Amino acid sequence: MSLRILLGFVFTLTCCLVKAAPLQMEALDHDIYVHHGVHEDLSENYHGDICNISFIVGSKGIAVIDTGGSLKVGQQLHEAIRKVSSLPILYVINTHVHPDHIFGNAAFLQDKPIFVGHEKLPDAMERRRENYLRINQQWLGDAFAGSEIVKPSALVKGTLKLELGDRTLLLTSYPTAHTNTDLTVFDNKSSTLWTGDLLFVERTPSIDGDIKGWLSVINELKVHEAENAIPGHSSILKDSNWKQQLNNEERYLWTLLNDIRASIKKGEVMEKAMSTAAASERSYWQLFDIVNRRNVNNIYPSLEWE
Amino acid sequence: MFKRTLLIGCLSFMAFSNLASAESDPKKWPVVRESFFGDRPMAEAPFISFTAPRRAESGAQVPLEMMVDQTQADANAIKTIYLLVDSNPIPLTATYHLTDKLGKFKLSTRIRMEMDSYIRAVGETADGKLYLASVEIRAAGGCGGTVDGDEKEIRAAAGKIKLNVESPVKLGEATQTTFMIKHPMRTGLQRDLVSQGFVPAFYIQKAAFTYNNEKVMDVDIGVGTSEDPYFRFNFTPKAPGVLAVKATDNEGKEFSQQTEVR
Repeated sequence: MSLRILLGFVFTLTCCLVKAAPLQMEALDHDIYVHHGVHEDLSENYHGDICNISFIVGSKGIAVIDTGGSLKVGQQLHEAIRKVSSLPILYVINTHVHPDHIFGNAAFLQDKPIFVGHEKLPDAMERRRENYLRINQQWLGDAFAGSEIVKPSALVKGTLKLELGDRTLLLTSYPTAHTNTDLTVFDNKSSTLWTGDLLFVERTPSIDGDIKGWLSVINELKVHEAENAIPGHSSILKDSNWKQQLNNEERYLWTLLNDIRASIKKGEVMEKAMSTAAASERSYWQLFDIVNRRNVNNIYPSLEWE
Repeated sequence: MFKRTLLIGCLSFMAFSNLASAESDPKKWPVVRESFFGDRPMAEAPFISFTAPRRAESGAQVPLEMMVDQTQADANAIKTIYLLVDSNPIPLTATYHLTDKLGKFKLSTRIRMEMDSYIRAVGETADGKLYLASVEIRAAGGCGGTVDGDEKEIRAAAGKIKLNVESPVKLGEATQTTFMIKHPMRTGLQRDLVSQGFVPAFYIQKAAFTYNNEKVMDVDIGVGTSEDPYFRFNFTPKAPGVLAVKATDNEGKEFSQQTEVR
């Protein structure tokens, strides 16, 4: 933990220099590199670097999976890639629309990669554009300078294969779950699945889509062949048993759904449920008090219509 | 055409306000106040109070409760309450027209908030005196909306009403009533990617509540009221009867529902 703080301090110092310091990456087998963001809420204490960011090096070129929350983080990622390989960056993939995953895209425009996302991603980006730009500017200030929305040109409807030479990535899009733009990436060579935020580890799962849709996507993922998974957020990849983590997430979502349904049946008010629903899950998750309350606020009104 | 220009105006206003500080901007109120009430005098209203979060978890559905600690028998009885959100592109969120059947006015609703803002309840008496109560809420992103879904299904479901009265009812006492109406409440500010313009406004604009055919409360509803408008309020039935509601959308369609109280 202290190393993380130290690294963060070093980044802060070097941000003032012209060239971005490379992002700290964890090198996995099979030429996969992952950066772990820190668990901060998207609010005043957010610094633009909270999600997992990855790149995969194939024999012909490189694919990037999520780019972080600002142009600056994207530039640091770019530096980290160039430390490892000079192959062309062929694809920049966004696992969904959330600002912590997409605002580094602009750092790759010069490489002219193909930007790839869920078929609904361009639409979702457009709808959220003004709000995202304003609120992220407010949160990040100067550290958000130059960040912009860069939409995908290759859209995934069902599945899409991306060739990197010696390996092929299989992208799959899902119906509304965590968001309405969720996408997974499967690398056959390493049997690794990038779940985006369909799988939360440590951090409280946040619902910006459809809790019931998400539960059915979890059922699909449970039978996925991947041996390893890289979730959208995690402090370190130490637990290879990603199916167990999927079960934990499912348990939280079911507890939340059942508690809210019980609250509605009793004729309670949403404000009360915001403090009580899924309380039994509190000790298992980070940022629980903030994210769980927000989840209740987001889904209670629609569940009143079941 | 006029409407389109107006909407673009709203958006430019929003863009300009980026420059303002992150916290609720008190400078907006004089402008909003003047546009709605001109130079009419306004007194503080200690008898109007709010229950609201300091920070809203979701700008799309901010829970807000208003209470007026007086009845219609009071010399300065409030007949109308204007609910305004200073920093929303369209500040007027709802107007509540009260009657003596409500007893002491107490109403919970859910509103949209685009950014940190002061919320204002302006009460108006029968002879036109104005009273003001304010509360500050920090929030983000409730107006742009993330419209999605099948248009046919949304239209088919729009207007479905749930009306519930607390039971068993205690005649002559404050009785909790919940009204919900399914509706997307499109603001007119949401982008239409096909036309490169805006998705037209589509919202419930009025709900009129009656008890045994006598007026209980009329609400003029604006797009600052959240999707699937929600009102939970007290009214005082003196005898068994039928509570009815008639809602109207901005396209002129009417929706109604009633429930027996006994």
